[in-house]
Amino acid sequence: MKVRIAMALVMLALTSACGSPEAPQAVTVTPVNAMPGGAEQVGTAPAAGNADCDREASLRPGPQPAPGAMPPGSTMANILARGRLIVGVDQSTNLFGSRNPATGQLEGFDVDLARELARSIFGDPNRVDLRVVTAAQRETALQEGQVDLVVRTYSITCERKKKVAFSTPYYVAKQRILATKNSGIRTAADLSGKRVCAVKGTTSLAALFALDPRPTLYGVGQWTDCLVMVQQGQVDAISTDDVVLSGLLAQDRRNLELVGASIGDEPYGVGVKLENQDLVRFVNGALDQMREDGTWERLYQANLQQVAPSPGPPAARYQD
Amino acid sequence: MTTTHTPTATLDARASAGWLRRFARTTPGVIGLIAVIVAASCVVAGVVVGGQLDSRIAKGDAVLDHSEPFAYNAQKLYAALSAADAAAATEYLSGGLETAPMRARYQQALADAAEALTDATLGASDAQTRTTLAQISAELAAYTGQVESARANNRQGFAVGAAYFREASSSMQTSMLPSAEQVYTEALAAVDEDQKAVASLPVVGLVLLLIVLVLIAVGSLILVGRTNRQFNMGLIAAAIAVVLVAAWVVAANVFAANSIEASRTQGTARFEQLANARVIAQKARTEETLQLISRGDITAGEKSFGDRIGQLTALLQDENAAGSVAAWTASHGRQVELYQGGDYPGALAQAIGPDPSGSAALFASIETSLNDAIEQTRTTLRDDVSAAGTRLSWSPTGTLVLMVIAAAAAVVGLWPRLKEFL
Repeated sequence: MKVRIAMALVMLALTSACGSPEAPQAVTVTPVNAMPGGAEQVGTAPAAGNADCDREASLRPGPQPAPGAMPPGSTMANILARGRLIVGVDQSTNLFGSRNPATGQLEGFDVDLARELARSIFGDPNRVDLRVVTAAQRETALQEGQVDLVVRTYSITCERKKKVAFSTPYYVAKQRILATKNSGIRTAADLSGKRVCAVKGTTSLAALFALDPRPTLYGVGQWTDCLVMVQQGQVDAISTDDVVLSGLLAQDRRNLELVGASIGDEPYGVGVKLENQDLVRFVNGALDQMREDGTWERLYQANLQQVAPSPGPPAARYQD
Repeated sequence: MTTTHTPTATLDARASAGWLRRFARTTPGVIGLIAVIVAASCVVAGVVVGGQLDSRIAKGDAVLDHSEPFAYNAQKLYAALSAADAAAATEYLSGGLETAPMRARYQQALADAAEALTDATLGASDAQTRTTLAQISAELAAYTGQVESARANNRQGFAVGAAYFREASSSMQTSMLPSAEQVYTEALAAVDEDQKAVASLPVVGLVLLLIVLVLIAVGSLILVGRTNRQFNMGLIAAAIAVVLVAAWVVAANVFAANSIEASRTQGTARFEQLANARVIAQKARTEETLQLISRGDITAGEKSFGDRIGQLTALLQDENAAGSVAAWTASHGRQVELYQGGDYPGALAQAIGPDPSGSAALFASIETSLNDAIEQTRTTLRDDVSAAGTRLSWSPTGTLVLMVIAAAAAVVGLWPRLKEFL
């Protein structure tokens, strides 16, 4: 009996040794589907846009001081003494604020407006220091005094007016939809069940979140990140102000189209630190001058003519 | 059926065992037993000690053939990826008209990364490391695609080019580089483990040698008691051989340990320090260029740059690159001054311009100097580990030969005593 068991054990040992060896473990790699840094799905309600307030009404300008002669002790006098006006702008929104890759310089309607405001203080449009701020950084940049002004497709909202002051509107944009041509999206209602991209912290995202039924929303850092996501097939549409969208459309005309009626009006104002009321009045005075002397029209022709013929400058409204 | 287990066979076995027991109690039996036990224990101890020494030499070879090249390639991969990102950023900042040297630097970094990836994959024994490397490889392919998208859009004047570049750099900084860093850190730890194993004392073998000595001593005493003769010359010769072996083993190990100690302080530790410095320098450079690409508030970026320069200075205080780091910090200070003063083109020129006192040239000189120091350290490490192997190289053979001689001496020495009874 023992021999049989021993034989069986030997056979077992032999057969297991002769069996085909297990193949070495193969590696598995998940496909790379990179998204712009910081892109994430939006699940919670962004800060609501507009409570009931007269959002476009701003502070009435006093007599406008001449360039280089600011009233002593005023915020403008401090800026004059510093020698440069520091303005927060955008670098990735075509037509309003983008970097010309060939020259490395920032250009667009907002950038030109910032230069004109520098001209109002110094008499020289080049005495401006342009700082790029992201949409989400705009309030903090003003509150912490990193910039004197924000001229960056900055929609005036009641919510924001609690934190920063705004000038009178210098442009009124309409929120529309930029969709891929074969997406079947024609109106806001068609966005249901689609993936839509917007920048975090913008009124556009809040308006999209309020849609019923709500589309799948992705929040990113900059508008060009949305275009990247469309081109990479990660979202179906982008929705924000028409001027921003036409800037994006210009970069991919073949595949994208601007569709839908306006989801809402977006008046753009110059952002100022809440406490600097003298600066708000000064900027309003400067804007009034630009409306009257044709400077506004000139800036429009230089930057926005390709979007639509000039509607004329938006009227100023004052809160007193 | 059970033919092998007949009662007769069992009886035979029992009978011979009984005879052996009785014979062992006789004087010739005792002498024979001593000869067999001493000779056998000598051979066994010789084999065990030789095997242990052999495994230490094998560990040294493993450092030279496997773990050190792997760690080197993992380090090279990290540096190449980081260099690719820094080069792509500089190229992007330089505008639509990329200068040939910038493009060449980017291409060189990609070639370095490909080399390092291939060599590292070859050296990665576990599936997890190979998976990490494969993931890096897949992400690198996507990365280069994004960089080319950025370039194509940039040439058309489309701002979306910057977004593609940010996407590429973000995946590099948040995914590929941390993965590569992990592989490299683990690889360096493995090198250190192997190095320690080379220099460890073969304790089991030494204990066996001690036991052999005790057996010889006990055998000699019994022999003196039983035969009324002086100590047996054969056993004394065997004892001397065993002591020689023990001395050799200890001495070879002490010398090897010295070389290993040198390879760890002058090699591994310095290699790690330099490689860390290189990584930190690359991160600071990327920080510096990203400040200009994002062109926003630089407070957070400046704090991070300052921290990195602080670490770098601490790591490099005794190195050649220390002077260049100070010069670079000064150049960066000028860049920030220009930037804060609103002179963006000036800041840009300071950061990426061709001026030999500008940040680009200074960073390149730090990079070159660190690279040379890393190569040199690598040579030191390999030479020292190889020297440790040389110290041990003849010890397994020598041990085995001496222990066989010891066994032979014991048998030859006892044979005349045994012959007196035959």
